[in-house]
Amino acid sequence: MAVMKFLCDTKRCIECNGCVTACKNENDSALEWGIQRRRVVTINDGEPGEASISVACMHCTDAPCQAVCPANCFYKTEDGLTLHNKDTCIGCGYCLYACPFGAPQFPKKGAFGSRGKMDKCTFCAGGPEETHSDAERQKYGSNRLAEGKLPMCAELCATKSLLAGDADIVSSIYRERIAARGNPNAIWGYTPKTGA
Amino acid sequence: MLLKSLRGLFALLVLPFVLTMGLGLSTSALAVDDQTSQQMANTNDADLWRAVQSGDSGYTTKKGVDSGVLINVSAIEGTEIKNQYLTPAMALAVLGVFGAFVVFYFVNGPSKLSKGYSGKMVLRWSKADLWIHWVLAISCLGLIFTGINIMLGKHILQPYVGEGIWAGLIYGSKTIHDYVGPVFILSWILCVVKWMPLQTFKMYDLKWFLVVGGYINFGPFKGKHPDSGFANAGEKMWFWTLTLFGLFISVSGMMLVLPGLDLPREASFAALLIHAISAIIIIAFTIVHIWMATVLSEGGMECMKSGYCDENWAVQHHNLWYDEIKANGTLEYKD
Repeated sequence: MAVMKFLCDTKRCIECNGCVTACKNENDSALEWGIQRRRVVTINDGEPGEASISVACMHCTDAPCQAVCPANCFYKTEDGLTLHNKDTCIGCGYCLYACPFGAPQFPKKGAFGSRGKMDKCTFCAGGPEETHSDAERQKYGSNRLAEGKLPMCAELCATKSLLAGDADIVSSIYRERIAARGNPNAIWGYTPKTGA
Repeated sequence: MLLKSLRGLFALLVLPFVLTMGLGLSTSALAVDDQTSQQMANTNDADLWRAVQSGDSGYTTKKGVDSGVLINVSAIEGTEIKNQYLTPAMALAVLGVFGAFVVFYFVNGPSKLSKGYSGKMVLRWSKADLWIHWVLAISCLGLIFTGINIMLGKHILQPYVGEGIWAGLIYGSKTIHDYVGPVFILSWILCVVKWMPLQTFKMYDLKWFLVVGGYINFGPFKGKHPDSGFANAGEKMWFWTLTLFGLFISVSGMMLVLPGLDLPREASFAALLIHAISAIIIIAFTIVHIWMATVLSEGGMECMKSGYCDENWAVQHHNLWYDEIKANGTLEYKD
């Protein structure tokens, strides 16, 4: 069983926002105006040590959104993804407060909690509706995973900075890069033991 | 001509040399510069990610509050506080307080009127008071039941109902909770403002606590009837708890229900936790309040049905108030 993960190689990300556009285009059927599932944040913009990172839902193994949701609308797939059911979602916003990465998005800002149904990155894996059905496309966007393809954001990343796929494969690709680069600490909390 | 050409030749020879030198120098200088900046960047990498982890924000094209924040520091902590402490505390408040009161009631029995009903009814609450009480009570109960479903429903209800029924129940709970909130806030304000003068603590309230209000029917407390004014010390405690935590729950509730405020996520999560803590305390007190009025204190419920209480009930439970209205002539009997 695979565990799907994203990883953004900050030494390669050039802040082109291609992933944001690719995601928005691929999942257009489900995305209301103003919603973007992915964003690129640049730290130390314009200064030495500038680093950009593309963020969306990180599909946490022990997801706080799932833990905090009063409607219990989240579920884990066998690919290790954290997805949610928009029919059960009540738009309370708790997941947004609980998410460390700011992944959950709400289409509206009306008074009395009319935020609308939460929307977030599905790893291009659709939702609980029947695979490739109209309902799935309208609510969750594309389902590339069912076709054996990886998320559009990572597939279209020009510098191959954004990696998506099985955690083992993603980390082995990244480990190779690090070995060639000899540059530890390229992502936080990850200090590979390479070289001498 | 020769000089000119020599000068020209010199120029031709030297200029590239100088230029190359200069360029070389500047590139070597650049390289040094580059190296230091790279070293800086390298040594700063750990600091950079440490800053990101501690919630620093960067630049992003995404609009909206907190978009530039990569890691929301309060998120995990808040989730843990809510799930590990507040959800069990809510379950304990509901079941524990209810259960404790049932046990107390069966061990202790109700607080009977020692002289029975007199049949003479004394005016205690005006019609306006009754309205405020019941609007507050019904809105509060609506919020309590929907709120308990929002907090505990996924543990105690969802496993036993179908997916569609659960979706309807939880969406209904949230919608009712959102719209009943303002009714609660308005009646809460009226209640606090109108009843506050009756609720100031007096010295005799301490003695009330020492004999547990005179509701205990056994041991050394048996048959004790402590002094109390219009409101007894327990009622005053309930009033001030509702005043304080009603304020917290109203403000935090508005923070949660109005996404247009564009609050930072930390503030929203803090509001969520304060809302839950206040709810736990108010619910615990509400359960006690309802038990006292309906079964424990004989003749107590009548006050909020008609606004009149039995004369013997007034003498037994609110003697100082009864003496006062009798003395100053404001005592009013029901026709």
